[in-house]
Amino acid sequence: MSLANLNGRVAWIFTEENFDVDLIVGVKNMKITDIKELSALAMQTYDPDFVSLIRAGDLIVGGANFGYGHPHYPSLRALRHLGISGIVAESFSPGFWRGEISMGTPLISCPGILGAVQRWDEIVVDWAKSAVRNLTRAVTLPLEPLSSGDHAMLESGGLVPYLKRDLQSASA
Amino acid sequence: MGYTLAEKVLARVSGVPGVRAGQEVMAKPDFVIVYDFPGYTDVIFRQMKEDFGIDRVAEPERYAIFIDHMVPVATPAEEQLHIQTRNWCAEQSVPLYERRGIGHQVSAELGYATPGAFAVHFDGHISQLGAFGTLAIGLRRNILEAFVRERVSLKVPQTTRINLHGTLQKGVMARDVFHHIVRVLGPSACRFQVMEVGGPGLASLSIEGRQVICGLAMFTGAITAVCNPDEVTLAYTHSRNRISIDPVTSDPDASYAAVHDIDISNLSPIIVLPPNPANTRDLVDHLGIEVQSGYLGSCASGRLEDLRIAAQILKGRRVKDGFSLHVIPTSQDIMSKAASEGLISTLVEAGAFTSSPSCDYCFGRIATMGPGQKAVSTGTLNVPGRMGSPDSEIFLVNAAAVAAAAIEGRTVDPRKYL
Repeated sequence: MSLANLNGRVAWIFTEENFDVDLIVGVKNMKITDIKELSALAMQTYDPDFVSLIRAGDLIVGGANFGYGHPHYPSLRALRHLGISGIVAESFSPGFWRGEISMGTPLISCPGILGAVQRWDEIVVDWAKSAVRNLTRAVTLPLEPLSSGDHAMLESGGLVPYLKRDLQSASA
Repeated sequence: MGYTLAEKVLARVSGVPGVRAGQEVMAKPDFVIVYDFPGYTDVIFRQMKEDFGIDRVAEPERYAIFIDHMVPVATPAEEQLHIQTRNWCAEQSVPLYERRGIGHQVSAELGYATPGAFAVHFDGHISQLGAFGTLAIGLRRNILEAFVRERVSLKVPQTTRINLHGTLQKGVMARDVFHHIVRVLGPSACRFQVMEVGGPGLASLSIEGRQVICGLAMFTGAITAVCNPDEVTLAYTHSRNRISIDPVTSDPDASYAAVHDIDISNLSPIIVLPPNPANTRDLVDHLGIEVQSGYLGSCASGRLEDLRIAAQILKGRRVKDGFSLHVIPTSQDIMSKAASEGLISTLVEAGAFTSSPSCDYCFGRIATMGPGQKAVSTGTLNVPGRMGSPDSEIFLVNAAAVAAAAIEGRTVDPRKYL
């Protein structure tokens, strides 16, 4: 089994360092559990048309230390529901990284990405070639390879399926 | 080339001698520590059974469950969660510590901070066990792994070494040192690494101060923090250790990702402005901000030295009318000692509100702030909504500065009261 490449447009670029992901749905909406209600709120302070503009497979691009602070899960839950297929950032904050990889969200650490994309560019995350390609601008950047544990967790679709698979293969 | 403390601990618990940073290992935690919280323990208990068919954890003595959030409860649903946790612990013969105080502190009091041990939690503030030379890592939801198999998968982290030099001036405390580290090195300086703190400046700090610095490590990007055990911490842990292992220290020729030297002798009290823990400034440049409440407590404060300095400042003075000062000792043991020393009566006579230990003030479950309110706090962080309304603001300061602000209802330099 290998990870499927991600192919989509850059739906938004967070250029700021240390971005607090709770702002994606808004701190005051953190306790909403209904996924439809939550996802309708996503990105509203950044682009009120965001929800109608994105297509399944689109990606988010972020700056350095993306996810810093005290990240909660609802924001990425909303983005996944809307079809966002992954986040490509200059670098990630470890707590956010660990939490979202365990949810099966592809996170791609790619130094230089902020300088290589504009909104709505079409990009491909090519795991096998360990690269992010900007098809719109014909630019390619290397991505930082996943650890084998993180790779396996994303392949499985998150923590629970990963552990099930691993435990089954251990007992087989 | 020598090894870091983290490499030595992970070599032992993974059974792979000589592991180096960057290697992936399967490591057996000596301790699996959690507190009961909706979305974590209730989900773990259910998933163990339903998804993995596991009825009982192996080696229950390796586990420790704390009830320190939602204490005391305010709704039947909260009590139901605690009931479920109590039942689960009883069925599993897993130790349960309820109403003893904030788990990250009580873990140390109970000997889970055995020097050289490897501990995991879902909450990253468990890093404060590193003050005793324990490698303690917060795994977030991956903690499930520690409930369904013996080992957790881990990439051996690199270590950044921070040597502290000098001694702190009056009114400047360990948490100022931590905030200064963030200010000097930045909020991603130790990303995915262990923050190892040492040097003569660290040796001059109390155990409590070291717990504070290690406990906040995540805001440098670190996955945990450690200090090499010294005679001070070994004296504390000696009679408490839960397992018999040799303490380890980083070798003098260990390979570090970076080494930094930071002088703490000219440090003044720090204020961390909203909206995030990287927003670190000198308090003297932000005096006079009107605040309506103050919180002295959390796993990052509320220990004896914090209570002592607050009592020193408030003795014979009064909390300003209309100001809500909450002073919450971090454990029952600390509460008892503070009472014996007369600190509690001094604080109460000055107008402070105190209660038994609870995590609930730190995340706004109680003493909840309304829109537009501002607080000074020794809590763990200051992101919007952390202590109530998303439109309230939190200014992180040391315990002395909380006490001083309570007198005037605004941010002040605590040194004028010392």
